[in-house]
Amino acid sequence: MAITVNNVQQHAADRGARAIGAFTARAVPPAGSEAVAAPTAQAATALLRRLAATRTVTALCAFALFVGLWYGVSAWINNRILVPSPTQVATALVQLGASGELFTHALVSTSRLGMSLIASLVLAVPLGFAMGMNEKLNAYLDPVVELLRPISGIAWIPIGLFIFGVGDTLPVFIMVYVAFFPLLLNTIAGVRNVDRKLIDAARTMGVRRTPMLLHVVVPAALPTIMVGFRLAFAGAWSAIIAAELIGAPSGLGFAIEWYRELLMSPKMFAFIVLIGIVGYVCDLLLRALQRVLTPWAEGTGLA
Amino acid sequence: MSTMSLPVAPVRRLRRAWLMQITLVPLVLLGVWEVWAVLAGDSHAPAPTRVIESFIELVAQGGLIGATVESLGRVVSGFAVALVLGVVLGILMGSNRWVRNLLDPIVESFRPVAPMALLPLAILWLGAGTPAAVSIVAYAAFFPLLINTVHGVSRVDRKLVLAARTMGVPRWRILTKVVLPASLPAVLLGSRLAMGVAWTAIVAAELGVGAKSGGGGSGGIGAMMFVFYAYNVDLNAIVVCMIVVGVVALLIDRLFRFAEHRLMPWRT
Amino acid sequence: MKLQTTAPKLRLQNVSKQFIAPRTGQLTTAVTAVDLEIQSGEFVCVVGPSGCGKSTVLNLIAGLDTPTSGSIEANGQSIRRPGADRGVMFQDYALMPWQTVYDNIGFGLRYGTPGEGLTPTERETRIRHFVDLVGLNGAEKKYPHQLSGGMRQRVALARLLANGPDILLMDEPLGALDAQTRLILQVELLRIWGETAPQSQRKTAIFITHDIEEAVFLADRVVVMSTHPGRVKAVIPVDLPRPRSEHTRAEPRFGELAEQIWALIRDEAYRAIGGLGAAPQATNEAVA
Repeated sequence: MAITVNNVQQHAADRGARAIGAFTARAVPPAGSEAVAAPTAQAATALLRRLAATRTVTALCAFALFVGLWYGVSAWINNRILVPSPTQVATALVQLGASGELFTHALVSTSRLGMSLIASLVLAVPLGFAMGMNEKLNAYLDPVVELLRPISGIAWIPIGLFIFGVGDTLPVFIMVYVAFFPLLLNTIAGVRNVDRKLIDAARTMGVRRTPMLLHVVVPAALPTIMVGFRLAFAGAWSAIIAAELIGAPSGLGFAIEWYRELLMSPKMFAFIVLIGIVGYVCDLLLRALQRVLTPWAEGTGLA
Repeated sequence: MSTMSLPVAPVRRLRRAWLMQITLVPLVLLGVWEVWAVLAGDSHAPAPTRVIESFIELVAQGGLIGATVESLGRVVSGFAVALVLGVVLGILMGSNRWVRNLLDPIVESFRPVAPMALLPLAILWLGAGTPAAVSIVAYAAFFPLLINTVHGVSRVDRKLVLAARTMGVPRWRILTKVVLPASLPAVLLGSRLAMGVAWTAIVAAELGVGAKSGGGGSGGIGAMMFVFYAYNVDLNAIVVCMIVVGVVALLIDRLFRFAEHRLMPWRT
Repeated sequence: MKLQTTAPKLRLQNVSKQFIAPRTGQLTTAVTAVDLEIQSGEFVCVVGPSGCGKSTVLNLIAGLDTPTSGSIEANGQSIRRPGADRGVMFQDYALMPWQTVYDNIGFGLRYGTPGEGLTPTERETRIRHFVDLVGLNGAEKKYPHQLSGGMRQRVALARLLANGPDILLMDEPLGALDAQTRLILQVELLRIWGETAPQSQRKTAIFITHDIEEAVFLADRVVVMSTHPGRVKAVIPVDLPRPRSEHTRAEPRFGELAEQIWALIRDEAYRAIGGLGAAPQATNEAVA
């Protein structure tokens, strides 16, 4: 094959391998004797090597290693409160699942998350469209946005506690605030970055304002808005834990702190693991949503 | 193409109009807020003028600057730890596919676990004080640094490496003279993001620690906010703290952007 | 082939366009004193060095921009805004990435003026006709990112034609393709345009390109523009017989015309790439 810049390394590796092989090759075996045994053994090793190379197998190995390390550390420290063993945490998970407590807290947190995301979508996306399309509006409102944005949602917790007290509203308020900015900014960016050529093309086809908005601007801005939505989710998920830890009577963040105060570490750890799982699952769902809504943006660097 | 300039006066007028646009809405909102607070009657309700008074008082006597510096100190410590861990691991994972495939699942599993979720654990292990707060900051700052470093190292244009090899540059030198400079933009970006996250994390951690240790002497601006909420109730002081949090976040961001600009003039 | 001259389809009179940079207020003249008359059914190519204002002129005719002075008229009516009567084919295709080939071709028919008064069945028939015309049968359900450059260009062409415009405006449509695909598509383009039909039945086409040979191959007339400031330098009639084919390029007249046009642009082209010194003097100075 022709040698190009891209395969020069491979080419060299091939030649090197062949050279070494030629150097260490055994004498040619008599025809037929080993020929039958070789294929099956070769096929088996090839299959094993392929399996080993798959991502899932390496992932499983990684987890096994991690759990093994954890087990070792917990055994060495031998303090159930400081470092519970993996088995203890797993048992705690099962117990919590059986008693339903697991699901109650998880549901409470996710429902708050859901409400907040919907609320911030309703607030941020229309405003983002308005600001993205109207330069004047953007000029007037942008300073306010840029002044409020650096003040992280966490900083609003004390004032939020003062206004809403400990309860359901505080986490939702904080989450809406945190989710609002990435969504707004990404919507504005998405609208502004709509390829000028697409709009020109539509204009030359006599497309008027409303169809232009619905059938050109919205689909074109959608990938960037989706990215904003994922950022909003990540921020909100992080903020809810903090908010629940400090100022809510229920939810995953609350549960972690609750069991710490009771020094019931296995259950505390169980909830930490649960937070990871729920967060991961939600991210998977969001990615799937992204693929469904914006299939054309894969691999263009927008997603 | 032939060019011509507009006379100076119209341009100056444009700039003045622009300034007015920028300040109009914030000033109006502040005005409305002030009026509402005065009308509300309660002399403790937060208002722009009272916030300014509170700010002066806190700087002069309340140790605002001290608390901010204390928080920043913790951020820097946590960031330093995360920088070393994140960049080293990032280079390893970015350049070696086996390492990456092995460690990636673990990293990705920890990513959804918010830093604050580990605060109780940190308090359990390290007590309610500075070490716990710093460890949360380090944890928070670690991920942006790691992810961006991996991204930067793995995206180094293979052709640059090959070009160096065809010039007889030894492998280790390629690492220092080609791979690292090429991934510097990504590391700097990761640093900027990490510092931003770290600052948020310290405020949250100090708030949490303050809430759990009964407003004890953990110091820092997050704790100060909690004190003004739970013990020495002063809403105007809380607002001052919030503004300080915002201003510092902005300054950190600008500082890092400036550094990016200076260190990498070849990036537009 | 003698071109019939009746009332011109498109008339530009003393058109000039100046731009004001938003922050600094600097004035830049893109084109100046452009006078052109284009007949119905003509295929006109516009060539010139970078920055001579070719795209600006196209945008003005399309109505995407308005001239600073002068007038542009199509069918005797002055042009103020874009419209489906002047269809545009852009250099990077401007296909809606979220729509299939089928939907892209039918975009103007569904959301724009060309589709007004069409029943869905009529619309479908029309779209299918153009899918067939450009040879994209079987690819209707694909998305632009799944298509090759040549296929995308054909979608853009089908969309342009499906909207039934009076005037076809094409801004370097083959520019992003490799040389081989370009040669093939040039012949295709002429076929689809209706090269073999009489002039009264052909659409008017204005085609911008960097490629001088492409311009000579396609056009009835070639408008040569120059830069600093952008203006029309010359209009060269192309008296090669139609239909054009690969053999056309071998004819001596083809080479003469190409050389003639290059001679007009040569100096500016050298200057545009940062001046490698003076352009070498041609031994046979072609007479313009």
